[in-house]
Amino acid sequence: MPQISSLILLLLAGSLSFIGCERHPYSQGEIIYKYNCANCHMDDGSGLAKLIPSLDKSRLTLSEPAKLVCLIRNGLPVNKLTGQEMPPNTILNEVELTNLINYLGSKYALKPQTVQAPEVKKMLAGCQTH
Amino acid sequence: MESNKNSLMKIISILSLTSVMALLVMGCRNEPQRLPYLGNIEVNGSDTIYHTVPDIALINQDSQSFRISSLGNKVILADFFFTSCPSICPKVQKQMLRLYDRYKDDDRVMMISHTIDQRNDSVEVLKRYAHNLEVDIHKWTFVTGQKDSIFDLADQYFVSVVEDPLAAKGFDHSGRIILVDKNRRVRGFCEGTDPESVTAFFDTVDKLLKEEYQ
Ligand code: HEC
Repeated sequence: MPQISSLILLLLAGSLSFIGCERHPYSQGEIIYKYNCANCHMDDGSGLAKLIPSLDKSRLTLSEPAKLVCLIRNGLPVNKLTGQEMPPNTILNEVELTNLINYLGSKYALKPQTVQAPEVKKMLAGCQTH
Repeated sequence: MESNKNSLMKIISILSLTSVMALLVMGCRNEPQRLPYLGNIEVNGSDTIYHTVPDIALINQDSQSFRISSLGNKVILADFFFTSCPSICPKVQKQMLRLYDRYKDDDRVMMISHTIDQRNDSVEVLKRYAHNLEVDIHKWTFVTGQKDSIFDLADQYFVSVVEDPLAAKGFDHSGRIILVDKNRRVRGFCEGTDPESVTAFFDTVDKLLKEEYQ
């Protein structure tokens, strides 16, 4: 009896985690997004009118991991038209950046490319700082 | 076993009956109820004095002087923010936009965003911000003023605003959106960082409009 019930439990847990994976292929990246980007770009990536761009509209950048890595690391200077800037993010390490980029790519990019942490490390080294 | 089941059924039916009754009573009581008046209420003989937000002189995005009283008798939705705020402000303004969209064509409602960053948010900066938020400044106005009076004003709206060198860009503040009636009395608020709180707030605003314009 106890064996059967533990088997059922195991199956249940297994299927639950499977469903979980299906819904959020990059759940780590999603959490990183929420804490580092969503304040400005919103949970759903919709941005704020002309002040903060919607991520849907920046599919190009989001399809190019190397550009995106440097954009996140260096931020963007004050835009003269809107007065808004994107601050540099120096907190995220290459593993977190990898998760974030894969999440953003899967959600917004026209042609999602997945990256691995060692590649991201190289990309970071190639960023021009300003 | 059998009697156990029976008493369980009894308990369940009693519980559900009482909860239905409680719901009915609450439902009846809630309907005619007016929105509460927030803040201190003083009773002076036959007079009741409610807390009101002061009608201080402010300056709008067009460099014109602005007072709440100059709006005429309007219901007001207000918040406190600053244009370079990297923390909660964009989310709060996004929710203010939801309110804007809902009451855009309702002349009884006006919206005011007060900047708490007098150093950076000049009148020009406010104007550029409003323009890029793509809202009509005759409906939703952006104001500044003397720093001390804006901080005092925030207090009167029950919004906490403090300068904190450790906070992002030097300010710590709450993201409340405040509802004020035609007589400058505070009648409700929601948390602008929480979309669900704002959805519930729609009903509060509608209720006040019904109360104020019968
Ligand atoms: C403090 C607010 C803020 C935060 C936090 C922020 N951004 Fe931005 N982001 C902006 C602004 C503002 C712009 C546009 C700047 C401009 O107009 O030049 C921007 C631009 C972008 C763009 C380029 C859009 C385009 O089409 O050019 C991308 C992509 C982007 N951000 C992604 C991110 C990611 C990923 C994060 C989290 C690591 C993040 N942002 C965090 C404010 C922010």
